[in-house]
Amino acid sequence: MEGKAKKIMNVLPVLIGIGMVCCGLYFDFFNRNFRGRGPLLAGGLLLVIIGLYLFPGRKHREIVSGLFLLPLIGAFFITVLIPFLFGIFYSFTDWNGIKFTQFVGLKNYGQMFHAPDYLYSLLITFLFTVFNMVSVNFAAFFLALLCTSEVRGRNFYRASFFLPNLIGGIVLGYVWQFIFNKVFTSLIAGSVSMLTSPNLAFFAILIVSTWQYAGYIMMIYVTGLQGVPRDILEASAVDGAGVLKKLLHIKLPMIANTFTVCIFLTLVNSFKQFDLNYAITNGAPSRILGAKAVASTEFLALNIYNTAIARNRYAQGQTKAVVFFLILAAVSLTQVSISKKREVEL
Amino acid sequence: MKKYLWVMALAGAAAVLSLTGCGKSAQSEGTVTSSAGSQSAQSEGDGQAKSGGEAIRIVNGKIEIDEPLKAFAKKYQEKTGQEVVIESLGGGVDINGTMKGYLAAGNMPDLFVFGGEGDYQTWKDYMTDLSGEEWASQTEFGFKSEDGKTVGFPYAVEGYGITYNKDVLKAAGIDPASLTSYDGYKKAFETIDQKKGELGLTAVCSVAAESGQMYWSTGNHLFGYYLSGGLKRGDTTYIDLLKSGKTDTERLGQFADFMKLLFDYSDKNTLISGTYDDQLALWAQGKTAFITQGNWIDPSLPDYNVKFECGIAPLAFTKEEMKGVLADCPSWWAVYNKGSNIDASKAFLKELALTEEGQECLVSDCGMISPYTTCKVSPKTPLALSLKTYVDAANTYSWEWTKMPEGISMNSTGAVFELYAKGEIDKDGFVNMMQTAIADYVKK
Repeated sequence: MEGKAKKIMNVLPVLIGIGMVCCGLYFDFFNRNFRGRGPLLAGGLLLVIIGLYLFPGRKHREIVSGLFLLPLIGAFFITVLIPFLFGIFYSFTDWNGIKFTQFVGLKNYGQMFHAPDYLYSLLITFLFTVFNMVSVNFAAFFLALLCTSEVRGRNFYRASFFLPNLIGGIVLGYVWQFIFNKVFTSLIAGSVSMLTSPNLAFFAILIVSTWQYAGYIMMIYVTGLQGVPRDILEASAVDGAGVLKKLLHIKLPMIANTFTVCIFLTLVNSFKQFDLNYAITNGAPSRILGAKAVASTEFLALNIYNTAIARNRYAQGQTKAVVFFLILAAVSLTQVSISKKREVEL
Repeated sequence: MKKYLWVMALAGAAAVLSLTGCGKSAQSEGTVTSSAGSQSAQSEGDGQAKSGGEAIRIVNGKIEIDEPLKAFAKKYQEKTGQEVVIESLGGGVDINGTMKGYLAAGNMPDLFVFGGEGDYQTWKDYMTDLSGEEWASQTEFGFKSEDGKTVGFPYAVEGYGITYNKDVLKAAGIDPASLTSYDGYKKAFETIDQKKGELGLTAVCSVAAESGQMYWSTGNHLFGYYLSGGLKRGDTTYIDLLKSGKTDTERLGQFADFMKLLFDYSDKNTLISGTYDDQLALWAQGKTAFITQGNWIDPSLPDYNVKFECGIAPLAFTKEEMKGVLADCPSWWAVYNKGSNIDASKAFLKELALTEEGQECLVSDCGMISPYTTCKVSPKTPLALSLKTYVDAANTYSWEWTKMPEGISMNSTGAVFELYAKGEIDKDGFVNMMQTAIADYVKK
């Protein structure tokens, strides 16, 4: 008898809680000015949680673990999953950032691939990704070798190479813009700024991007290199391996998984390049392409931003963003799977 | 077990408290979201609150006038008990995007800024009809909806053309009044160019045409003269053509000739790679005679310690005389029609537009020109004064460029200007490319 009462007592909070949540939601939808609706909702949720926690039965453990996951799952849903699903939904409408009036089906997708500016952006973003991936990883790996060698003051080098990464991209972009526009032009008197030629401006972004990002990737390589077992290195030294041999046949294979991480990071980051692009050139200079003027350094992320913000075509921008996601997901998944295979082989 | 229960209950209580905090702040916006204003409001506001009710919240799009507006809002509160919270956005912030976020979050301000035709189309469902307000009949700059209702409150008139350094012109023997046609400018540029050394100039003009950051100056402002220079206010011939994807080749050709002239006499580095600051610095330090900016540079002049006299001349690209400048409201304030403070907002607008304190705030403190005919306060800054002579003489052209398709200068026409400035295309190339650029952009 007593057990039954206890059971009812335990179920009660859940029921009351659900009731309160319903009331709160009801007030929220129909009677906006009722002040108690917030506390009602929150109190109801709390009661449900406490009730579930106290809920007896065989599944008690599972319920509790579920409860502990709630904050994370909730945050993930609210900040990532729900906006993402909304985004896909909006890409099929004529949404203007406030409301949409009709579904347009796949029109946004079709239109996008007929726009020369988008195709051009796609092309140079791919180019940039390839160039940047190579240059960042080369630079980072050599810096890492330097910082793990016996050179004096290597901790100082390590810190200073890492430093550019701590400065925000926008600030850095404007500083470098000044350097390209003012410092370089006065160092080489009479020359015009690198940022006025479409090709050179592309490399200007590449330089800054490498400069900023190599330090960060270097840190990962440094950890990888430090993880190479000393005994193997010593054994190879006893066998008479030189510096180059050690590097090629011991260090490189031993840190193959570090390469995977670094290449993956640079790939994704170069593809998503926005802040430097925005601050250094913002798409300029323009290039003549078949009697039309196109912004020569407008990468995909900036193109999406400009479509949505400057043109006020939110639905189209959203569409581009969905495609952006698909490309990014496909490219990185392939890359990871290939690298993983290599790791196994090594 | 019991211990854990207690911890759990405490954490839960904390969560509830924080959640209720959110709930309340959403209801009584303003008082919580405001910064400096709210503290004083809480300390002294208790007694006065009976007349005021909730605070009015304004999203202002001109960060430059943030301080004077706040000062005026404080005075207004002392006078009427109505608290006014000014929230200034600007300096590169995407105002429309922020506002869309506010709307989605149910956090719309009572008064919000909008910048012309494109913004109007986005926001028209949320605007209150202000035609019946007293100030609406005392200005020709109010923003009118398609059916003729005033929905936008004008708070300033801005104008631009080719701003000149009067001292340099005097020394070179040029009368600013002669700068009213292509030939007038050509003569002036040639004369000054010859005397560049003795006048201490590095170039005649300070123009910036880089498409990434200066597209608004070339693609909007300069191109604005093609759209409405020399036309009667409200004449929409060329903007209508543009909206249908066409341009007037003859007029665009004249405009291209003038641009060529302007670019040829400009400082090369600033022209193709300069930022707004570079452009302004060059002129304000007396190294050029002309700059293609308007009266909004007034507040920056003291930073460069500008001592010379200056004024605004029309960007007269035509062979015929063009005596006025492009002057209009850069943006308007609309009253949010679903807000709970519509009447209080209207009262505040009236105070700002029609009382002497309000005019003092807009004209003297913010350094702007009042759009109201009844305004008696006259501006003190040089370019505002110069612009006022055009406004008083009704010698102004409207800003039809604000009606261009959104983002066209940034995504399309700005690039054409840059190519022309770099000399990569000639006059015909400019005209043709401009035509295709506009046609493509309108079609998309």
